[in-house]
Amino acid sequence: MTGVEATLALEAGAFRLDVALEAGPGVTVLFGPSGSGKSLTLRAIAGLLRPRAGRIAVAGRVVFDAARGIDLPAHARGVGYAGQRPALFPHLSVGGNVAFGIRDAGGADRARTAAEWLARLELSGFEHRRPASLSGGQAQRVALARALAPGHRVLLLDEPFSALDEALRQGLRQLLAELVRERELAILFVTHDLREAHLLADRLVVIDRGEVLQAGPRDEVFRAPRQRRVAELLGGTNILAGRVVERTGAGLRLEIEGWEAIAASWHGDPRPGDAVDVVIRPERVVIRRGEPAAVNTLPARVRREFDYGTNHTLEFEPLAAGPSLVVDLPSRPYDVLGIAAKKEWTLELPPTDLHVMPAAPPRRATTQ
Amino acid sequence: MDILDPLRISLLIASAGTVACIVLGTPVAWAIARSRGSIAAIISGMSLLPLVLPPTAVGYYLLWLLGRESPIGRFLLDDLGIQLVFTWPGAAIAAAVVSIPLYIRTAAAGFEQVDEEVLMAARTLVPPWRVFTFVVVPLAWPSLVAASLIAFARCLGEFGATVVVAASIPGKTRSLPAAIYDANLAGNETLAHQLSLAALGIGFVLVSLLTVALQAAVRRERP
Repeated sequence: MTGVEATLALEAGAFRLDVALEAGPGVTVLFGPSGSGKSLTLRAIAGLLRPRAGRIAVAGRVVFDAARGIDLPAHARGVGYAGQRPALFPHLSVGGNVAFGIRDAGGADRARTAAEWLARLELSGFEHRRPASLSGGQAQRVALARALAPGHRVLLLDEPFSALDEALRQGLRQLLAELVRERELAILFVTHDLREAHLLADRLVVIDRGEVLQAGPRDEVFRAPRQRRVAELLGGTNILAGRVVERTGAGLRLEIEGWEAIAASWHGDPRPGDAVDVVIRPERVVIRRGEPAAVNTLPARVRREFDYGTNHTLEFEPLAAGPSLVVDLPSRPYDVLGIAAKKEWTLELPPTDLHVMPAAPPRRATTQ
Repeated sequence: MDILDPLRISLLIASAGTVACIVLGTPVAWAIARSRGSIAAIISGMSLLPLVLPPTAVGYYLLWLLGRESPIGRFLLDDLGIQLVFTWPGAAIAAAVVSIPLYIRTAAAGFEQVDEEVLMAARTLVPPWRVFTFVVVPLAWPSLVAASLIAFARCLGEFGATVVVAASIPGKTRSLPAAIYDANLAGNETLAHQLSLAALGIGFVLVSLLTVALQAAVRRERP
């Protein structure tokens, strides 16, 4: 397969990393807060640091195996790598940077390949420029071209857009998505930016404190987190403490702060009486204008609201028993519904969007 | 006794000594700059030893090492027929040993300035020797030039260790510093003055070159 399979353990000071992950064709996003071990994982796979134990295969070839004493140097692992900063070679031209890693080719061929990659990354004619004369976005594209030019199909990218402003980032993400389709790349992409993770990911690996909490197709991980911490990291702001009342054919009947609800999505094997965490993403809560749905309706009032320009974040408190909820609403529906003037609404929580996880004691903030 | 012979011998000793510093000191400097391990720390500390010893003590140990009493000296003399004691190559070795700590320090400082992320990018692209040759050396060259100039200057001025190992044989091992010492001891004021003036001239040139190299090194740090 094209892609990466890695199991690795390493210690860096007091920090312990112990992860297993797979990244097939497409973009696998390694997502986690800063200090969670994302970059260490990526560097270990790239061969830039040596794990204490584990096994790493790239495109089906074992490049590291602690037990068998295999440890290929970084350049022999068949992966392209780009980090947060472009880190271009300042003494070489742009063309020289891109051609640097191209092997088994004459000078003219290398220059041609480099020029082709530069053209693909919308930098035609930049061959003779000096890295110091480039803008941040241009430099990062040169760094991508440099990583891709040797012809590797596996690319390791460590927050490559984090130093750029939002407009540039947007363009580069789209360019990357096109490249993935066009060249059938397998990319392992490290980020702590949720929007970036969602936009780019085919698969999502959630990592925290040196361990993988959950991995799977993006939407599955977003919709059905296995535990509270994953839900928190993925921006599930509504994490409600509840209790299972009954398991029915259609789903779980729950009691949440004196309010009854039906959930159709869960992890594990919840049984009546179990304490559970219930998550619903803020953008999945429905604000009803017409007649209310049959299930999971909650009359509530807007307590606070925040206008982010493109969307509004509304904090609702229940009129009777029930949980407080955060709801994200794009600006247009906000205007159409007239929420600026009317503050009391009926919220609907679709059972398929209400996800139940085994209750976990709340953890303290983990960012280092 | 004239000026040209000691000048020629001194330049010979300094050139050979500098080459030895570059060849032996560069890998050590790289190892010190890149690794954080305890072995590198020990090597780093040990490399300072010739700097803190009196040069005459360094010379004394080298005299033993290169002479007939030590296995190395015996091997060189009996098996290879190489005589180093009382020759200018012996003096060059002594000068190199005394100078190499300065070379290693300066070169290591240059290597430490090379951007870690640039190195990581390079390592994923080409084998380590190409990383070193085509990325590290071009990026650290002002520091390497400065290190070589410092080593050259230190070799040129070296007296204690060289005179113990190679003595001061006119036309063979009598270097500029040895000639100044001898002239002064013999009461030949004029010669001592001329020789010192020559040393001053060379020193001035070296200091000028060093200033240029160090400025270039600083520019590399803050582009």
